[in-house]
Amino acid sequence: MPKKGNTKNIALVSAILLFSLALMTLNVKQEKGTGFLDSASGFILSPFQNFFTQSIQSVSHSINHYFFLVDVAKENDQLKLEVQRLISEKNQLVERLASQKRLTKLMAYEEDWEKKAVVASVIGRDATQWSKVVVINKGTQDGIRDHLAVVTDAGVIGQVIHAGLNTSKVLLIVDGRSAVDALFQEDRVSGVVVGMGEDECLVKFVPNTADVKVGDQVISSGLGGIFPKGLVIGKVSQVSKKKQGLFQEITLIPSSDLSRLEEVLVLLF
Amino acid sequence: MYYFSQILVAIFIFSAQTTWLELFSFGGVTPDLVLVWVVYCGVRYSRSSGIGAGIALGIIQDSLSGGLLGVNTLSKSLIAYFFSTLKGKFFVEGMIPIGIFLIVSSIFDGLVFYFSMGTILKGEVAASFLYQSLPVYSIYNALIGSFMFLVLDKIDSWLQPTTPNPYMRMRI
Repeated sequence: MPKKGNTKNIALVSAILLFSLALMTLNVKQEKGTGFLDSASGFILSPFQNFFTQSIQSVSHSINHYFFLVDVAKENDQLKLEVQRLISEKNQLVERLASQKRLTKLMAYEEDWEKKAVVASVIGRDATQWSKVVVINKGTQDGIRDHLAVVTDAGVIGQVIHAGLNTSKVLLIVDGRSAVDALFQEDRVSGVVVGMGEDECLVKFVPNTADVKVGDQVISSGLGGIFPKGLVIGKVSQVSKKKQGLFQEITLIPSSDLSRLEEVLVLLF
Repeated sequence: MYYFSQILVAIFIFSAQTTWLELFSFGGVTPDLVLVWVVYCGVRYSRSSGIGAGIALGIIQDSLSGGLLGVNTLSKSLIAYFFSTLKGKFFVEGMIPIGIFLIVSSIFDGLVFYFSMGTILKGEVAASFLYQSLPVYSIYNALIGSFMFLVLDKIDSWLQPTTPNPYMRMRI
């Protein structure tokens, strides 16, 4: 006959397991079912996150801009932004040219990007080590909803996975659950950019016959309905072709520095 | 006063975890202050308080992360349960036992994520997760956690100055 203490322990562990599995099932079965918890915790914590983020940024800016190299740091920042803007502009132009060559119509959203985007600040990161998610300071009040693309000047960073009232969660492209349909800009070969939970992504389903080189630029294909066509995702950092198998193993470095995100653009279309 | 201070500590830990702790990432790995606090609650508080704290902190962490709700609830509550059960059988004072507890709990926490990602979410996990990220995460947690135990002990001793002996600090 089992001891009373053992029975109590078994009951306790079973209760913990059942409760956790019930939460997971609820989360998987109905995406909206757990939104209340997300929104409530985000609402309570967002003022503190804002405070910490702004404090860090102001301290960081003070150190960068005043204590060390006042003018050089500022100029460097401006030049970096300018370079990023020019690269982004060049890519957009290359894409437009390619589209015209193929006699397709220019997409209307490329012309009025600025009218249909919301600028947001990153105020927090995921509360766990493993998920690659950031929290932005804009929510449904600003027109943000789930599954909108989020970009920076340098390129795609992810998509909104939960839009709260004042804050939203953005799943970064390096997260293991992220998948973005993509094209190699030069060869027009398609693939799927998936995250691995680290700083790099994989490009899957690229046939062995495709001529992919290190340094090739990868852009969004527009398929999937979340990311508009032509947004820069990153550059190929490693290519490995297996003798057996249908697909190449390609590693990609995202064009945006996902560890240092401050301001982002949420595309409202 | 005691519960109010615990809420303040919780707000500080979750705010730090989601904002500036990223600045101290090593090889893309940041320590998990919530995990350390759960182990602390399991080791220092009474069994029911420890497990309760594990469940509550796990749910809050789940809701503040973009992952699957329930994963951290499961890992944190089981960690709190095991340490609140085991603490009577081991000597848990000093850096080394605490460090070992934190390493074990970090590995368990990482493995729960790994299996949930692979089975329920069907997501990708880098091949280096088990032999690179997880060991770094465990050691980092152990280093930060040992220091954090000292700080949390200090806070507790301020709040309960009449019971300086850690073995007497059991709460209902």
